[in-house]
Amino acid sequence: MNGLWLVADREIRTRIRTRGFLISLGLSALLVVALAFVPKLLGGKDAYEVAVVGAVPVAAQDVTYTKYPDEAAARKAVSGGKADAALIDDQKVVSEGELDQRLGLLLESAHREGKIKASGLVITPLQVETGATAQYQSVRTGIATLLVMVLFFLLIYSSMYVAMGVVEEKGSRIVEILLAAVRPWQLLGGKIVGLGLLGLLNLAVVIGGGLIAASATGLAADFPPGMGGIVISTVVWFVLGYAFFSALAAAFGSLVSRQEEVNSVLTPMTMLMTLTYLVAYFAAVEPEGTLARILSVVPPFSSMVMPVRTAAADVPIVEIVLSAGLMVVAVVAVLFAGARVYNRAVVRTGARVKLAEVLR
Amino acid sequence: MLEVQDLRKRFGDKVALDGVGFAVRPGEMFGFVGANGAGKTTTMRIVMGVLDADSGEVRLDGTPLTYDARRRFGYMPEERGLYQKMKVAEQVEYFGRLHGLGRAAARDAAGELLERLGLAARRDDAVEVLSLGNQQRVQLAVALVHSPAVLVLDEPFSGLDPIAVDALAEVLKDRCSSGVPVVFSSHQLELVERLCDSVGIIAGGRMVASGAVDELRDTEGRTLLKLVVRGASPGWADGLGEVTTDGDRQVLLVESGDDQEILRSAMRAGEVEHFGRQRPTLAEIFREAVA
Ligand SMILES: Nc1ncnc2c1ncn2[C@@H]1O[C@H](COP(=O)(O)OP(=O)(O)OP(=O)(O)O)[C@@H](O)[C@H]1O
Ligand SMILES: [Mg+2]
Repeated sequence: MNGLWLVADREIRTRIRTRGFLISLGLSALLVVALAFVPKLLGGKDAYEVAVVGAVPVAAQDVTYTKYPDEAAARKAVSGGKADAALIDDQKVVSEGELDQRLGLLLESAHREGKIKASGLVITPLQVETGATAQYQSVRTGIATLLVMVLFFLLIYSSMYVAMGVVEEKGSRIVEILLAAVRPWQLLGGKIVGLGLLGLLNLAVVIGGGLIAASATGLAADFPPGMGGIVISTVVWFVLGYAFFSALAAAFGSLVSRQEEVNSVLTPMTMLMTLTYLVAYFAAVEPEGTLARILSVVPPFSSMVMPVRTAAADVPIVEIVLSAGLMVVAVVAVLFAGARVYNRAVVRTGARVKLAEVLR
Repeated sequence: MLEVQDLRKRFGDKVALDGVGFAVRPGEMFGFVGANGAGKTTTMRIVMGVLDADSGEVRLDGTPLTYDARRRFGYMPEERGLYQKMKVAEQVEYFGRLHGLGRAAARDAAGELLERLGLAARRDDAVEVLSLGNQQRVQLAVALVHSPAVLVLDEPFSGLDPIAVDALAEVLKDRCSSGVPVVFSSHQLELVERLCDSVGIIAGGRMVASGAVDELRDTEGRTLLKLVVRGASPGWADGLGEVTTDGDRQVLLVESGDDQEILRSAMRAGEVEHFGRQRPTLAEIFREAVA
C-alpha cells in the first residue's frame, strides 16, 4: 500500500506543477462562473429607468420614473442612455432601438392598471400555484446540462493523463526499474489514485466556483431543494466513472510505447466516452425518456447519465441503487482486466502489443 | 548466493536462452560477457522478473526468488530509463523510498551517492539537461540507493569516461566487499578481467565457459610458450611457432613442443631475454570460446 501512495504522491506533485493542469483548472472554473452569469445576462436588466412627460403612471415593479419637462428632453435622456425608455403623456413609449420586452410588459400593465383603477373596477390578481417539480424544471435542466459537460471534460482529460503517464513510463523503459521496486498494481493504482485526486480537486473547484458564483449573482435563490444531494451524487459518480475509464485508458495505453500512438490506441475508449456523453446530454433534456431510464442503469453509460438524470428529475432510489451496484461490478471487472493487460503489456516495448495476446 | 539454473527462453521461433546457469557467491563480482545477441540482457531481465523464463529457476540463498527478495536487488537495465523532467536528487530519493527506505534515510543515501558519483553539483538539475554519461551516473545512483542485497547491472560501464569508470569500479568493489553478489555484463573485457573474481561467457544462449578468472586462464584457451630472443638470424625458428620481429628482437610463440629443446635452440641462435608461459587474456579466451 505504501508503494501505491508514494506513486500517487509523485503523480500529484509533478502534475500539479504543470501549466497544462493549472490552465485546465482555471479554464473550467472560469467556464462555470461565466455560465452562472448567463441567466442574468439573458434575463435582461432587473431595474429600469423611465423618463416621463406628463402624468406619472401607476408604480410598476423594478421601474423608476423620472419626470422631464417635455418630449424633446425625454427623448434626449433616452438617446443619451440615461433612461431605458420615455413615456409621453401616458400614450406613447419611445425607446432607443428595440424596446426591452419585459419593460414593455411592465409599462403596458401599469398603463392598464391605471385605467382600470380610474374606472373604479376592482380586479383580484390571479393566484398562481405551481408544483415543486415544474417550478424548478428549467433550473434543474440547466444544472444537468452543465453537469454533462463538466463530467465529460474531467473524465476524458483525467483518463487521458493516466494513459499518457503509462506510455511515458513504458516508452522511457523506466517501468523496468519501477517494477523492480513496486508491484504492477501499486504502480498502476498509484497513478490512477493520484490523477483521480487531481480530477476530484478540479471537480471541487468547478462545483465550488459554480456555487459561489451562483449565490453572488442571486441565481442560487432559484436552486431546487436537494442541491447537496446533487453535488454528492456527482462526486460519487465521477469517482466510479473515473475508475472505469482510467482502468481502460491504462490498459490501452500499456499496449503502445510512443506518445504519438496514444490517441489511436485510445480511440475505442474515447468513442465509448463520447457516446456516453451524447446519451447523457439527451438525458439532461429528457430525463424521463425511455432511453435515459434504461441507460442510466447500464454501465458505463450510467456514470454520466445517472448523475445527470438525478439532477434533472427525481429518480426512484431503487434505480439509483441498482445502477450504482451494477457500475461497481463493472468497475471491479475493468480494473481486474485492465491490470492484467497492463501487467503483461507494459514491459513489452517496441511494436504495439495486440490486445488479444495479453488478455488470454 | 545467487544461482541461475538452466534458464530457457524462446521468443516465437527464436531460442534466446538454451540452458543458462551460473552462480555468484556473496562478495563475488561476476562478469557476464558474450557477443551481441548472445542472451545477456534476456538472462538479467529474467533474474529481475521483468521477463518470465520458459523454464529454469533463479535462487537466492537456496530459495526461489520472490517479489520481496527482488525488491532488495539493485538493477540497471540495458535500456536506461529515468523521469526526464524530475530533478536528479529528487529522483534518486524517490527510488530509495520505493525500495522501502524512510524519507530521511533516502535523502541521506541519495546525497552520499551523488557525491561519490560526482553529481553533487547537478542535484537540482532536471535529468533531461544532463549529458548522456551523467544521466548514466544517475541511473547507477538509482540502482544503488537502497543498499541492495544483490546487484544486477546490464552494461553499467558503457558510455562512462575513465574517471567515472574508476568511480563506479570503486563503488562496486565497496558493495562487493560488504558481501553483496554483483553481476554485470560488459563488452570491455580488460575491465572485466581487472574487476571480476569470476566470469561467465555466453554464446548463442548457452554458457560456454564460466568460473574464476584465474582458473579460466589456466584451463580455457591455449597457454603459449613465449620466448624473446635478441640477435638471432631470421629463420632459426622455422616450424616451431609464430614469430614476430621487433627490431633485433624476435618474439616466438609456441603452441606445443618440447620447451627445453626449444630453449636450447634459442640459446644457440641468440641471446634469450625472456622465456616463459603466457596465459591467455580474457579477450583471447573469449574469442576462442565464441568462435
Ligand atoms: N522481446 C524480444 N522479442 C524477440 N526476440 C528477442 C526479444 N528480446 C531478445 N530477443 C532475442 O534474444 C536474443 C538475445 O538477446 P539479448 O538482448 O539477451 O542479447 P545480449 O546478449 O544482451 O546482446 P547485446 O550485447 O547486444 O546487448 C537475441 O537474438 C534477440 O534478438
Ligand atoms: Mg544486452
